Amino acid sequence: MESNSPDAESGDKCAINGDCSLTSNKDSNGLNHAKNIDDISTPSELKFDEDFEFEDSDVTEKRKELEKCLSNPDVVNLEQWVHFAKSKGGLISDEYRRKIWPLLVGVTQEEMTVPPSLDELSTHPEYNQVVLDVNRSLKRFPPGIPYEQRVALQDQLTVLILRVIIKYPHLKYYQGYHDVAITLLLVCGDKASFPLLCRLSYGPNAPLAPFMQATMKPTQHLLNYMLPIIRRGDDRLAECLEKSGVGTMFALPWYLTWFGHSLNRYTDVVRLYDYFLCAPPLFPVYVTAALVLHRAPDVLACDADMAMMHCLLSRLPDDLPFEDILVTAKKLYEENDPIDLDGEVAALEKREEEQRRLDEERMRRRAAGRAGGRPVARGWSYLPVVLRRPGPRRAAFALAAALLAVYVYYRPDLFR
Amino acid sequence: MSEPNESVPGLKQKKVFKIIVLGDSGVGKTCLTYRFCEGKFLDKSEATIGVDFRERTIRIRNEDIKLQLWDTAGQERFRKSMVQHYYRNVHAVVIVYDVTKPETFHSIANWMQEVESHGLTGAPRVLVGNKCDCGTPESRLATTYAQRLADKHGMPLFETSALLESECDNVESIFMTLAHKLYSKQPLRVLSVEGENKPKLVTLSRQKRSNADSGSCLCS
Repeated sequence: MESNSPDAESGDKCAINGDCSLTSNKDSNGLNHAKNIDDISTPSELKFDEDFEFEDSDVTEKRKELEKCLSNPDVVNLEQWVHFAKSKGGLISDEYRRKIWPLLVGVTQEEMTVPPSLDELSTHPEYNQVVLDVNRSLKRFPPGIPYEQRVALQDQLTVLILRVIIKYPHLKYYQGYHDVAITLLLVCGDKASFPLLCRLSYGPNAPLAPFMQATMKPTQHLLNYMLPIIRRGDDRLAECLEKSGVGTMFALPWYLTWFGHSLNRYTDVVRLYDYFLCAPPLFPVYVTAALVLHRAPDVLACDADMAMMHCLLSRLPDDLPFEDILVTAKKLYEENDPIDLDGEVAALEKREEEQRRLDEERMRRRAAGRAGGRPVARGWSYLPVVLRRPGPRRAAFALAAALLAVYVYYRPDLFR
Repeated sequence: MSEPNESVPGLKQKKVFKIIVLGDSGVGKTCLTYRFCEGKFLDKSEATIGVDFRERTIRIRNEDIKLQLWDTAGQERFRKSMVQHYYRNVHAVVIVYDVTKPETFHSIANWMQEVESHGLTGAPRVLVGNKCDCGTPESRLATTYAQRLADKHGMPLFETSALLESECDNVESIFMTLAHKLYSKQPLRVLSVEGENKPKLVTLSRQKRSNADSGSCLCS
């Protein structure tokens, strides 16, 4: 393992990333990377060098305003930064993001301290899991990044994650946390990303805090807001999703990583982060709902089958119009405050609980069937479900007997 | 498992076998399922968050069978409440460990327990030691040791590598073994399906096929 690279170098790295999205329109082959590619580096599916044909005049205007504000940041208030981050195009490039992201979450210069070395942290119980996930995060690095640089960044990533869970021992690492951490690291460098990640992880309104509890129950609960939000947008779509039994698992990586894990285009990821960094903690779930609403035609055309639906939804196309999706999500949030949805979420969770109970009952029956009377169990399995439960079964027999009695009463000749 | 296909069999629909893939983090569950479904090694595998899904259609006795593989996250926190849902209607189980990491082998007991707690004791299961291309022969877990455990639980053992092209057939046989076992186990089989516009008449017959002759066609 290599030690962390010097500060100056990490600054350079940020610049490289900033350049990726910036210069690409002039340099669509990403030649600034090409000359650095060594034999070990691998091409990435990540499209850091996004080629946008022309820059929107709004964006050009915004860029000017951003530069003006950044030239004298002390006189700019938070609202102004938030406005930049949320409005169309977000913060445009990583060069601006590097300066503005810390401001959005209120990180101060003093908090940006030099990280400790990896060796100092390697005794942490989560060390192995973190390293395992970090080593598998190749897809998230800029394409053509030199091997040594990538390894150094991966070490920085491990350090970053461990620093947070060491500082807040009650917070648990989850697979996907590394996807958030790497996005912050690539944009802001190793010093600023630590206080940034701390802000996102710890505190009453910290958006990642629910994911880092002892169990995933809080996360699951929050994800359960998705379906009621979708229902407010499109009743038929919500019906279709519910009927398929697809659940919320397809959206879990989206929510846990703020889409960092699931989107191929780096520019989409950082654009969403611009917004999420200054949005209410539940806002990513509204984006999830807006995304599903956007794909309504595909969903409605899909078989109402859990597997097919999961497959369709979990794979995100590359050309999602996130600016529109964010607008929809914002509208959904304004019209449907989480508090207004509590009742529906509670009802949904009650139904799920009931389903779980039935499943457990069925598992017990399955186990009992194997232990004792397998043929009996098989025989029952051909009966309609209602008849397998003792209550309705008894009722059905009683009804049959009554009908027979009536029949015999009216046609006694048959039974003589 | 008495009903491999939940819905009405036949009627344009393929048979579906659902297989859940379990094992510790980083043992290669994703690469293994990817290798089987896509026929190649997944170069840049990432941590699985929640549950991934892959499928492949195979042919057994001239019948198309859909194998649905549910690839689960290895980290424990995902298992507790989240993955649970995916045990529903599962027909078979694959438990994977990393031959170069003994601790992933020792976790098998926990995985077995979990499988049992979901009422899947009777479902076909296989044990897979992955990454046999890694490490030195001495550093790898001894086959006899793994075989003993596999025998104890009455499941076949496969040692393989999702990476090596030469091991491709072995990965194939893991899932084909399960598919054949499930195929031969199913209680009902569609013999004929009358025209779709007519009343949906499906002739069913109890299948008389023993496990013994199911290995005769390992089609791919």
